[in-house]
Amino acid sequence: MRDISMILKSVWKSLFLFSAISVIAVSTVSAQDAKEGRTLFKAKCSSCHALDSKLIGPALTGVNDRHPEAFLLKWIPNSQGLVASGDPAAVKLFNENGKIAMTSFPELDEAKVKSILAYIKEGEPKPAAGAPGAVDANTTAKDGVSGLSIVGIVAIVLIAIVILVILGRASKLLERLILQKQGIEIEEDVPLKVGVRKMFKNKKFVMFFILCLIICLGSFGWMGMWNTGVHTGYQPVQPIKFSHELHAGINQIDCQYCHSGAFKSKNASIPSLNVCMNCHKAVQARDKYDGQISPEIKKIYNALGYDPETQKYDESKSKPMEWVRVHNLPDFAYFNHSQHVVVAEDAIRKAKGLQPTEPVCFACHGPVNTMEEIYQYSPLTMKWCINCHKETDISGQKNNAFYAKVIEAHEKIKKGEKITPALLGGLECGKCHY
Amino acid sequence: MKGSTLAMNKNKFVYTALLAIAFVATFSACKDKRSTGLEYARNMYDPIAYNPDQPNKNFKDGKTAQLPPAHTKPVGFTEYDEYPNTKEGYEAAGVSMVNPLPVDTLNLADGKHLFTVFCNPCHGDKGDGQGHLVKIEKFSGVPSYHEGSSSRGGAMADLTAGKIYHTITYGVNNMGSHASQISPTDRWKVVMYVQQLQKGQ
Repeated sequence: MRDISMILKSVWKSLFLFSAISVIAVSTVSAQDAKEGRTLFKAKCSSCHALDSKLIGPALTGVNDRHPEAFLLKWIPNSQGLVASGDPAAVKLFNENGKIAMTSFPELDEAKVKSILAYIKEGEPKPAAGAPGAVDANTTAKDGVSGLSIVGIVAIVLIAIVILVILGRASKLLERLILQKQGIEIEEDVPLKVGVRKMFKNKKFVMFFILCLIICLGSFGWMGMWNTGVHTGYQPVQPIKFSHELHAGINQIDCQYCHSGAFKSKNASIPSLNVCMNCHKAVQARDKYDGQISPEIKKIYNALGYDPETQKYDESKSKPMEWVRVHNLPDFAYFNHSQHVVVAEDAIRKAKGLQPTEPVCFACHGPVNTMEEIYQYSPLTMKWCINCHKETDISGQKNNAFYAKVIEAHEKIKKGEKITPALLGGLECGKCHY
Repeated sequence: MKGSTLAMNKNKFVYTALLAIAFVATFSACKDKRSTGLEYARNMYDPIAYNPDQPNKNFKDGKTAQLPPAHTKPVGFTEYDEYPNTKEGYEAAGVSMVNPLPVDTLNLADGKHLFTVFCNPCHGDKGDGQGHLVKIEKFSGVPSYHEGSSSRGGAMADLTAGKIYHTITYGVNNMGSHASQISPTDRWKVVMYVQQLQKGQ
């Protein structure tokens, strides 16, 4: 009997082990499929499809339930062939989605399509325990504690001061009572008003007081005058919380992508919202807002009258975005961006000691790639301009077309040839009309 | 006795003066970053003529930057309306448009610079669709210039100059129009550089 139960037990055990192992094996296989599918999806599908929202093509979550697998295996590699062959389901699908032809993917074989479908079925992998989300929660909790402890310490110090003051008063009172009991006469406290009046009769004190006042007002005045009209550190609240740290820092987008005027014209130009839409038509940061569009990105959509569901613009609803100007030169000062960042790029880089990886813009605008909110880095005063123009070395600019022209004009003057203001750029509109 | 008090007062005086300056310095340092601070003659900062990005109550929509009136066009503006933003326009541009610029090192260098600024973030420096934004998973589905097929038919490596120009001008799928950022001449320089990358170099 015992033997039989032993055998049964071992059979159970092995069965259990076997099933456990096979379950693990199957799940890892499907996980691998989904992982491969994710890579393929990102590379091939995501330019037109997202899982949970409509892009060019429909949202794909639940596509496994909407269509039989056999159909999808034919549709995905060659949808147009399927439509052309007159397959009723394919024609219906094509018509339902605005007759936009889907790219053919002959390179996707059955296994690859299946792994993409596995990924769509499983969805975006959830961050495991201990992943970034959990860490965030921990750090915020820690921050909360440290904030509380600071408040606690301040409170304790305040309470201690109050107690000390009360104790001091009490001891003084007690002392006085004891003295009174012993019959010793004590001088009454002089009332504050009388004391102050007495103090102001003291000439030495009055002079001292006036001197202090003069020094205070003088230094306030001095600093105030030097800083009048200097906006260094000015950081106004902008209508959209646009982060240069994210766009120029983490995403490493070149300054010129948005400020494309800086290299061509006087003005560095604030990008119009269509430039934002080059990326934000697809980038909606839904993963950070529980599947909703980021409220800041939504502001772009609202300003343009853009409906992310239908992907249509309604111009009657659009209104301009009113950014607050940070860098503002007085109207009587002429500054040209392209003259500095194109003609003088090398000289400025050398003078300001910029790294080759840093854009030349950093010379005056500071480390923009670390500014979550943009602020004015340089004073933009006349002294600041003049100092840089005095110190910057522009020798050795041989391949610079601007200086080549200057040298050419000088040669002409030396030889005594005819030279006119027009030859020196005197016909540029901006020479007079700026 | 008197001398000593005077000396003490002198010391006190110096200390208090120093304290006063420190006090002033500290207070003037904590200035409000949301305000421009003290300004004299603000009207010298504000332009009398309207800047393009200023509000303007003379126009109905409140903007200074207005579209040119109908049937007019700015000096030096190249129109691109013979090839509309349709499949037919794209095909027609692909057949009949040719790059007006000669292929030389100067144009290619310009093209490379423009490509680095405007295309590289997504398309990658080799044009393989593996730009920085794709690598950090901010953007996806960027095709390679020298592999795979185009969403509008044909191999990516075989796209003609006209088709590439049309795509930069109007955008396609998730790529937006770059016409406002890249001038027509600069677009041809980018096309020239992209055609180098199509060869997989």
